[in-house]
Amino acid sequence: MPSEDPQTRSLSDEVARSSNRRGFLERLGGAVIALAGAPVVAAALLPADAQAEAYTNFCGHTYTTGNCPAPTGLPRIDRNGYPLRASDGVPVDDLGRPVNSRDEPIDAQGRLLTDADGVPLAPAPRTRVCETAGHDYGIQLSLDGSWYRCCGGTVRRIRDCCGSTNVRINGDAALPGYCYPGRHVFCVTYFETTMPC
Amino acid sequence: MLSGALAAIALAALVAGIAGAWSPCGFSMVDTIGTALGDVRRATMTLASATFTLGALAGGAVTFGGLALLGSLLGGGASGVRDAIAAALALAAAAADWRGLRIAPQIRRQVPERWRWIMPLPLACALYGVLLGLGFTTFVLSFAVWALAGMSFASGSLSFGLVAGIAFGVGRALPVLWIAPRLGREDGQRALDRLALEPRLWLGLRRVDAIALSFGALLLGAAAATAAPPAQFAHLGTDPSTAGRALAWERPTTGGWLVRPAGTARIPGRFPALGGGRIAWVAADGAITVATRFPAPHPRTFAAPASASIDDLAVSRHWLVVRDQGSGGVANLFAISLAHPKRRVYLQGAGLPGAIGRPSLSGSRVVWTYSDAVRSTLYEANLATGARRILLRSARNVLYANPSLAGGRLLYERSDRCVQDVLLGSSAAPAHARVILALPSIVTRDPGYQPGYVQDYNTASLCHNRKTGPGGTMTLGPTALGIATAWVSESPPALAATRIVAVAI
Repeated sequence: MPSEDPQTRSLSDEVARSSNRRGFLERLGGAVIALAGAPVVAAALLPADAQAEAYTNFCGHTYTTGNCPAPTGLPRIDRNGYPLRASDGVPVDDLGRPVNSRDEPIDAQGRLLTDADGVPLAPAPRTRVCETAGHDYGIQLSLDGSWYRCCGGTVRRIRDCCGSTNVRINGDAALPGYCYPGRHVFCVTYFETTMPC
Repeated sequence: MLSGALAAIALAALVAGIAGAWSPCGFSMVDTIGTALGDVRRATMTLASATFTLGALAGGAVTFGGLALLGSLLGGGASGVRDAIAAALALAAAAADWRGLRIAPQIRRQVPERWRWIMPLPLACALYGVLLGLGFTTFVLSFAVWALAGMSFASGSLSFGLVAGIAFGVGRALPVLWIAPRLGREDGQRALDRLALEPRLWLGLRRVDAIALSFGALLLGAAAATAAPPAQFAHLGTDPSTAGRALAWERPTTGGWLVRPAGTARIPGRFPALGGGRIAWVAADGAITVATRFPAPHPRTFAAPASASIDDLAVSRHWLVVRDQGSGGVANLFAISLAHPKRRVYLQGAGLPGAIGRPSLSGSRVVWTYSDAVRSTLYEANLATGARRILLRSARNVLYANPSLAGGRLLYERSDRCVQDVLLGSSAAPAHARVILALPSIVTRDPGYQPGYVQDYNTASLCHNRKTGPGGTMTLGPTALGIATAWVSESPPALAATRIVAVAI
């Protein structure tokens, strides 16, 4: 599994801080690093979408901002920002239990989960991953801008969870990423479209 | 009560250790450390005393702590039986020590003398200390030592074993620490002589031991009595309900059961509930039966609600709380005054199955949870005054469930994506409760990264208490709160194997 060189990563992040559009950032970062005489490193750091090995944690996520906390691990969300199980896109509640359209917990066959008496188990809160991350960390967060990449044959929307913060979930300085002006990325999520690529 | 018993056991162990000074090894240790070293080697003697003490403490902890650990391997639960066995052992040893009976079985062995010559004194004394602390490698000077060993094993409690072991080790070290430093002086020699020439002192110590053991037995016996009913009777089932020394529960295939000191009985209905000197259940025709005892010669019955089926009850001296499920899919929670059955208090309604949790009653106060996709809330209502308040509420991440109320104590479950906790606290300050049981969440979790990509900065996706992949197999269910025991249902994927476990509190 490839790893990023810390110094180069730091340089890339620094470059990223000066921009709020990743396309521009990639070009500028590439230029800076290339001018520094490291075209090989630049190629590794600023990959084309097909170069999956340079993504962090999940396909399509460049740079180093950490995942938003999600009920089942990977921060896959639906189009409204609610959590999905990454492996199959099944909606889950905040406890990570698969739920039906009424947010009732269900088993693998779609039947309501019950207790030993046959009474359905209580539903649990189901909240937006980004906003809940903000609640957990005491920051007001929302999904701002996005970037799209081809992952596994479909288009994936990388959604930055942004706020008026200079610190990201990693604990260090936050990047502008795809956030609206003046805001920074606190953590990242993604949405799987059905668009083939 | 148990802490009092533990104090008594610690005293018995301490005295049993001191009584060991009257053994050949006990005398030898005093002499080995203290004889004719003089002021020149006082530092060596001090070091030897320290290493001997540490060795004795370690030896005691190993023997009695180890026995307790072995006892714990027999499995949890049945605390009442364990306490009863420990109490019986303590009582038998107390009687024998009080009468000064000859110790049997006796271990006629001594520590190796040659260590004294071939090793540096501090090292030799450390090893001597270990051997004496172990208790059963040399002469045993009181029945209390045997009893403490059996009690440690029967307790299955490491803390019990360690307390007994360390107290025993301290007892073994004390006479040596008291006499050895003075052995070169007249008063030290006199003390050693008194020790050697006054077996009555030893017999007196055995009587002190007997008193401490008897006191411990008394308290353990009381704990055994209040720890009833034993956990194994409620092995399979759910919906526990407890009052005093009785426990009722539901076995989905066979209905309600009741266990009490008089024995186990099958209840002619489902969803049994205990409280306020009453027992209630749902009969086969759907009506609710309430009685002051079981079997019930003159039970009161309450007709089943129209077009609804009851799926849970709670009862107290003056109130009955009912949860039902209407044919239209609406669930209701309401209370009926047992004194004036027409007086009813409506508590909660829900169109979402399972949203209203299982109620629990204590006097006029009822607690229950209401959960949906927006929030999870633990409520308390005073049925006498109508006052209602929110004990706990969460709008994200957390599910509250299965509360039990007993006096001012509150037991409840709190689940999130990582863990299922059972907490015990006060209804006055429910957020400051302590975890008495924790299980991993049951959901399958991925590692927070996709295979083949750089794995970093995904700590927020992880749970510290469990690994990725499939989670635990047990889902926490309904609870009951007794005096010294919390009863918790645990459901495996095969719900018929749902069981109730006892958690000592």
